[in-house]
Amino acid sequence: MADLSIISNARFIYKHDNHKFPLPHAVDTHHIILRRSVVKPIFIYLFAILLVGYAAFLHFEKGKPATTVGWSLFLGAILVKFLIWRPVVKESVVIMPEFGVQLETHYGSGRINRRFIPVSKILKPVLNEHVTPVTCCWCLSLLIRDENELTLVFKKFRPPLKMLVPVWKALCFATDCKESFEFQEDG
Amino acid sequence: MELKEGKHRILMVSDFFYPNFGGVENHIYLLSQCLLKLGHKVVVMTHAYGNRSGVRYMTNGLKVYYVPWKPFLMQNTLPTFYGTLPIIRTILIRERISLVHGHQAFSTLCHEALMHARTMGYKVIFTDHSLYGFSDIGSIHMNKVLQFTLADVSQAICVSHTSKENTVLRSGLPPEKVYVIPNAVDTTMFKPAPERLCMDPIVIVVISRLVYRKGADLLVEVIPEVCHLYPNVRFIIGGDGPKRVRLEEMREKHSLQDRVDMLGAVPHAKVRSVLNSGHIFLNSSLTEAFCIAILEAASCGLLTVSTRVGGVPEVLPDDMIVLAKPDPSDMVHAIKKAIRILPHIDPQEMHLRMKEMYSWHDVAKRTEIVYDHALRCSNQTLLERLPRYLTCGAWAGKLFCLVMIIDFILWRLLQLWQPDSEVEPVPDFKPTELKRG
Repeated sequence: MADLSIISNARFIYKHDNHKFPLPHAVDTHHIILRRSVVKPIFIYLFAILLVGYAAFLHFEKGKPATTVGWSLFLGAILVKFLIWRPVVKESVVIMPEFGVQLETHYGSGRINRRFIPVSKILKPVLNEHVTPVTCCWCLSLLIRDENELTLVFKKFRPPLKMLVPVWKALCFATDCKESFEFQEDG
Repeated sequence: MELKEGKHRILMVSDFFYPNFGGVENHIYLLSQCLLKLGHKVVVMTHAYGNRSGVRYMTNGLKVYYVPWKPFLMQNTLPTFYGTLPIIRTILIRERISLVHGHQAFSTLCHEALMHARTMGYKVIFTDHSLYGFSDIGSIHMNKVLQFTLADVSQAICVSHTSKENTVLRSGLPPEKVYVIPNAVDTTMFKPAPERLCMDPIVIVVISRLVYRKGADLLVEVIPEVCHLYPNVRFIIGGDGPKRVRLEEMREKHSLQDRVDMLGAVPHAKVRSVLNSGHIFLNSSLTEAFCIAILEAASCGLLTVSTRVGGVPEVLPDDMIVLAKPDPSDMVHAIKKAIRILPHIDPQEMHLRMKEMYSWHDVAKRTEIVYDHALRCSNQTLLERLPRYLTCGAWAGKLFCLVMIIDFILWRLLQLWQPDSEVEPVPDFKPTELKRG
């Protein structure tokens, strides 16, 4: 039986699997899953079908060249790719206390990228505020021994702070780091 | 950590902040520290300096956002009108700011931040730190921009009455909206030497940027004259700049190498020791809204000789300063008078008087009153605010209205794209004692 806790917002769902079998606290998994909306893809597909249908009508009834149909198919494919297709569907962190941490990225095509970091190489997990010219968001990273740059735990997603905090606490506990800051959240 | 009743969450915005060093930077930092002590929450926003980009925390939890916009001219961010709207909106929502305080008319980031903050309905305050002219092309454009920003500001602060007059004339702001809060000096850092220096030789100290505005050309005329009249007078000149070459030439020409010491750029931490090695402080600025340098000198117990320009006469009482016209012969006359009255000056007594007259805590309390007044101003919609921009000029007024309308539309579009509820507020951090183990 797995302990499951879920937090969700408009874009992401956070799931925490704390497997009690075969050993309690042997493996701790945190997933961030991209939410799929139901309504939006229907509209986009409908629009793409209408576009191709209209191009076909123009070709067969009005005598426009076949390239019109070709262009409409191309445009439809572009719309679907940019508005519906999600390259990354899920990012996970598998924490094995005393052993290491595995970072996984699940792609829409079925490919899974995994990276294992032994616990001896992790100096500290940190929650950082990442400032860009247009926005500011939180990101969770690991300070790795002998590496100059921070390693992001969630490479593609930017989940909200309330989803990052349980993962950060679990990483601190697993890598034996004492939290040096306590913070009180506003109600 | 909820703030107590009457305490505010303030965003200080300027292009000028640490690691850059200067009067405005110092003012923002010390004012923020004193406001933090009074229980307010202060966040500073500035542009990135080289590698220093992102969020940094300074003493007492002062949070600084170094936003990665590249500076393009004299430390100023590239003015894009609407480019900074997303990041400013994000910072205002996530820090739950109630009040935006911009510094320095020359800072483009400050003007943009104040414009966007007004569009989003926040109360804004502007502090002007310098005097500007009216006649040259640069000043005319700057004054137009200032008119635009100040057309709709809640309150404004100036550092001296002369500066208030200058700001009111340049921007057309009603004088009732402008408060005068002078700068202060950290008297714990600037203390006189424990033992009084002996009167022979008499040392005159000059510490300033060696540029035209600071009157370096006057020094070139004054120093040889004074050295000729008084064989027991020495000069120490700290600071660097384009006019340094002229001063070196003056030294060579009059063979004053053993009587005039040129120290080069003096780091702020060393200024006190340089001041403590002198009896008289000489300030030859051609224009000055307020002059913190003479406050520092007076706090160290030096008698000041200065040009009577801008806000300088308002800074010190008459027995601590000798004023002169910005003219070499008048300045030499003033130095003569200063040397005459020097034996009657007691550095320790001067320092104690300065301690009572100027303190950053006092500046913070007075600024708090301005914040309270600003927050009591009524909330106004875009249509109620637009007529204020129309008074800026026949063409300029309409252009400013258009700029504000486009800003409003862009803000609404941004709210549709990313609603306010999606921007997470930052939890307030209260650092606990570090566990020693």
